[in-house]
Amino acid sequence: MSHVDDGTLHAYLDGELSLPEAQSIEAHVAQCPACRTRLEEERALITRAGELLAQATPPDREVPAFRPGDVKPPVRLWWKVRLPLAWAATVALALGVGTFLGESSSMRRARMPSHQESRDSADQVAQNAPALDRLAAPERQSRRESRPRQAAPSTRPPVGMLADKPKPMAARSMADSLSMADSTAYRGSSALNARAVTSAEAERRVAAKAAAPTAVPRPEMVSLGDRGYALKGAQIGADSARLLLGRDPLVVPDAPIRAMYRARMIGYSGMVIVEQALDSSTVIEVINGRASPVQLEAVVVSGAGVPRADSLAAAAPTPEPAPAAEKQKAERIASDFFVDVRGPLSTDSLAALRRLLRPLRP
Amino acid sequence: MPGDLAETYRTTYRALVRFLYRKVWDAERAEDLAQEAFARAVVHKPENARGWLFIVAANMARDEARRAARERRHLTLLTAEAQESGPPIDDALHAEHERAQVRAALDQLTPRDREVLLLWDSGLSYDEIAAHTGLARGAVGTTLARARRRLVEAHEAGEKGEHVARG
Repeated sequence: MSHVDDGTLHAYLDGELSLPEAQSIEAHVAQCPACRTRLEEERALITRAGELLAQATPPDREVPAFRPGDVKPPVRLWWKVRLPLAWAATVALALGVGTFLGESSSMRRARMPSHQESRDSADQVAQNAPALDRLAAPERQSRRESRPRQAAPSTRPPVGMLADKPKPMAARSMADSLSMADSTAYRGSSALNARAVTSAEAERRVAAKAAAPTAVPRPEMVSLGDRGYALKGAQIGADSARLLLGRDPLVVPDAPIRAMYRARMIGYSGMVIVEQALDSSTVIEVINGRASPVQLEAVVVSGAGVPRADSLAAAAPTPEPAPAAEKQKAERIASDFFVDVRGPLSTDSLAALRRLLRPLRP
Repeated sequence: MPGDLAETYRTTYRALVRFLYRKVWDAERAEDLAQEAFARAVVHKPENARGWLFIVAANMARDEARRAARERRHLTLLTAEAQESGPPIDDALHAEHERAQVRAALDQLTPRDREVLLLWDSGLSYDEIAAHTGLARGAVGTTLARARRRLVEAHEAGEKGEHVARG
C-alpha cells in the first residue's frame, strides 16, 4: 500500500474515517515508520492549530436566554393582526352588502314604469320575503305616512352607521314596490316617493364615497396623531438616515428592515421612517425625528384668505403636554428626539414594540 | 421555541458565537448575530438546524463585513498601530495581543481554508462542512490539513517577524 496522504491522516485523526478505512490506515502506519512519524507530526499540528484558535475566542459569558423579542412565533403575531383584519373584513362586507342591495333596488325601480313588470318583481320580492309581505299589506298606509319622518334622519347617516343602515333602506324600497304593485291609484305618489328614496340613497352613496378617502390615508402622508402629518419622501440608506438624525435611527431589533424613507415635518430638522416587516403580512413604521434646534411657536401663513382645516398651521406641532407614554419615552431618549411606531397592530402591541426600540448599529 | 431547537440553542450557541467572533472580531456583535440566527431559525424551522444556523451565520457575517469594511478600515489601522506601540504589560493586554496575532494569521488563509477550519473548530462534522462549503467530503481532510499548517506557519512567521522588528 502506498503512503497515506495528509488529508486522509487528518481525517483519521479527526475521527472522520469509516471503520474499514481507519483500520487500513492503522495497518499501514504499523509497518511504515515514515508514516508513523508523519502521523505524530500531524497530530501535533492539529493540537497547535486548536490552541491558536482557542486564543481567538470571545470572553466566555453565560449563554443568555432567548430574548423575549425574538421568541415570537408567527402565530402570536397573527393573533395581533387578527383583530384589525376582522374589522377590515366587517367593513368590506358591510360595504359590499350595501352596494349589492342598493344596486338590486335600483334595478327594481328601473322596471317600475311597466305595471305588469313591477307586479312580477313584487311577486319575486314577496317570495323572497314573505314576512315583509305580511307586514306591508295592513300597515301600508301608516308606513307611507311615517316614511318622511323615518327617511329624514337617514338621508345622511354618520359613517359608523353605514354598516347597518342599508338593510332598513332596502326593506323600505321593497315595501314601496309592493304597495305600488297592489294599486294603480297610488302609482303617481309612489313613483314620487321612489324618487325621494333614490335621492336619499344617492346622498348616502355620496356620503360613503366621501368617507372612503378619510378611512385610507394618502400613501405619502403618515399620520402622527395629534402631532400632525409627516410627508414621506424618497428612500434612503442607513448612512443617510444617520446623517439626517445625527444619530442611529431607533428600530425594532431583529425585525428585517424593508426600507428607510426620508420624511419631512414641521418642527423637525430630520425625520426618518423605517419600514420593518414583523412577518410576511405585517409591516410597521418606526418614525424617528430630530427636533429642529429652532422651535417655532406657531406658523403664520400670511396672504391666506380663510384659514382652512388642512392649512399648515394645523399641521404644526402643538405644545400640548405629551401623553404619559411619550413622557416615559422622552425620559429614556434625548428630549429633542421623537420616535414612534405605527402599524396595523393594537395599541398594546405598538407600545410593546416602542419599548423594544434600539439604535440601529452598523 | 420547539424543543429540539431549544436543545440546539443550548449546545450550539457558544460555538456559533465563537464562529461569528472569528469573523466579525467583536464579541457583542457576534452574540447579536448569533441571537438573530436563532431568531430566524425559530421562524424558518430548518430541517438540520445546526448546519442551517452556521450557513445563516456565515452569510450574516459576510454581509456585516461588507457593510462595515469602509467604516472600520481606518479604525483597524489605528488600533493596529496602537498595539505595536509597546510591549504587552498585563494579562488582558497579552491575551488581546495573542488574539490579534491569531487573527492576523487567520487573515492569511484563503477564504475557503479559513471557512473549513472555523467550521471544524465549531464542531461541525466533515459531512456538514462538505454540505456547507460545497466541497467533496474527501476534500475536507485535505483542506483542513492545509489550513492548519498555514495557520501555524503564519502565526510563527508573525511572531518571528515581531521579534525581529523589536530586535
